[in-house]
Amino acid sequence: MSPENVIWLLLWGTLVGIDLVSVPQMMIARPLVAGAGAGLLVGDVEMGLRLGVVLELFQFDVLPVGAARYPEYGPATVAAVVLAHGIDGASATGVGVGLALVLAMVGGLSLHGVRTLNARAVRQWAEQLEAGDPQTLTRLHLAGMLRDLARALSVTAFSLAVAWLAIRLGAATLPAPLLVATSVAVCGAALATGGMGLLRLVGRGSNLKWLAAGITAGLVLAWLA
Amino acid sequence: MAGVKPPLGAAFLRLLTLQSSWNYDRMIGIGMGVAEEPLLRDLRSEGNNGAYRAAVARGARFFNSHPYLAGLAVGATARAEHEGMPPERIERLRAALIGPLGSLGDRLVWAGWLPLLAGAALSAVALGAGWIAVAAFLVIYNVGHLTLRWWALRAGWRAGSDVTGALRNPALQGALVLVGPAMAVAVGCALPLVTRWVAVPWPGKPALVMLAVAALGVGALRLRPRLFTGPRLGLAAFAVAILVGALWH
Repeated sequence: MSPENVIWLLLWGTLVGIDLVSVPQMMIARPLVAGAGAGLLVGDVEMGLRLGVVLELFQFDVLPVGAARYPEYGPATVAAVVLAHGIDGASATGVGVGLALVLAMVGGLSLHGVRTLNARAVRQWAEQLEAGDPQTLTRLHLAGMLRDLARALSVTAFSLAVAWLAIRLGAATLPAPLLVATSVAVCGAALATGGMGLLRLVGRGSNLKWLAAGITAGLVLAWLA
Repeated sequence: MAGVKPPLGAAFLRLLTLQSSWNYDRMIGIGMGVAEEPLLRDLRSEGNNGAYRAAVARGARFFNSHPYLAGLAVGATARAEHEGMPPERIERLRAALIGPLGSLGDRLVWAGWLPLLAGAALSAVALGAGWIAVAAFLVIYNVGHLTLRWWALRAGWRAGSDVTGALRNPALQGALVLVGPAMAVAVGCALPLVTRWVAVPWPGKPALVMLAVAALGVGALRLRPRLFTGPRLGLAAFAVAILVGALWH
């Protein structure tokens, strides 16, 4: 991978990272989008989509309400695509997703860290805020944005470094049975997580019958396709 | 009020950065204050710097709601400040909006519009649409997203303290009625299609094993929800698979 490619991946991962919470929340951070983008950048859209779809199922488990803490799948998906592309073949899905799950937890921790730092800054400038000083207000907001930018950049750089290291340490030479076994396992876990997440979204009310109708339509389409 | 031309465009752009300073003390309060500030500048130009500063301070206090609907509170409280509503009533107005805006936004967007389109995009990818499905997801989602944000800000400014009336908007209520069933159909349809699509490289026994892992996973998530989150389940399955794969090898 060329240095130019690494820079583009770093930029993409950072953009994906700040989109999650800070700006502009346009859902670039969804694994499906992050994966497709990373796939385009490494020249392997198929792999990007494959990892994006599997990690999107894990994302269905997340409902970002209130002060909820959740894993950050965006930059993790970018790194997973790099690793899986380095291994090559659909059977690299398992190793890619395995790495992404760990990195997503690291990303979640970093979000908590930034929020804690933001809270500390707010406390430090509370007097000026209560005096209605617009400069302080803007400065605090911009500082928060910069913190998240630095966080997203660091998480992406760390994630890409881990993916690169895994390739250097011989991830591409892993035996085929192990690659298939991990892929089958994580895809099964993703389907379970996605399915349970969807059930939670749909709830126990009248939407259940619509869910059943959707599943029926999906089964028919899957059979016809 | 008739002569006031609010800089809604500036407030709207700032609303896009609403959560940049999210923190555990004031949640989105700082972002709310930043978004509201351009709408309060007229208070300053009227030579009333004290009123402006007090309004800025109030605007930046604790607040939490769905980010896409926070504009309703920004517009409504800014309007109330211009109308000279007593500070304690403005505080009460803000506090009263937290629950409804959060609940409405969560139902409409996080549990409606977003999974509806994500489900449709997953189905389209599984049916072979490729990256175009992803691009279409982004475009369609954001048309709805930005429209909702802009509507919220304008509706809040127009309604002022009567902002609860804006929440009864027929289009909004209609969308709420429709989005739940549409989301259920979309995500329901996506599940079998994605299951088939991810299993394509491993037909036969591995696909059956994948379904078995999925069934076991549903059981684990349902029976031990505190122990098993999605990522933990995925990592547990991954670890077991490494052992099995090593033995198989």
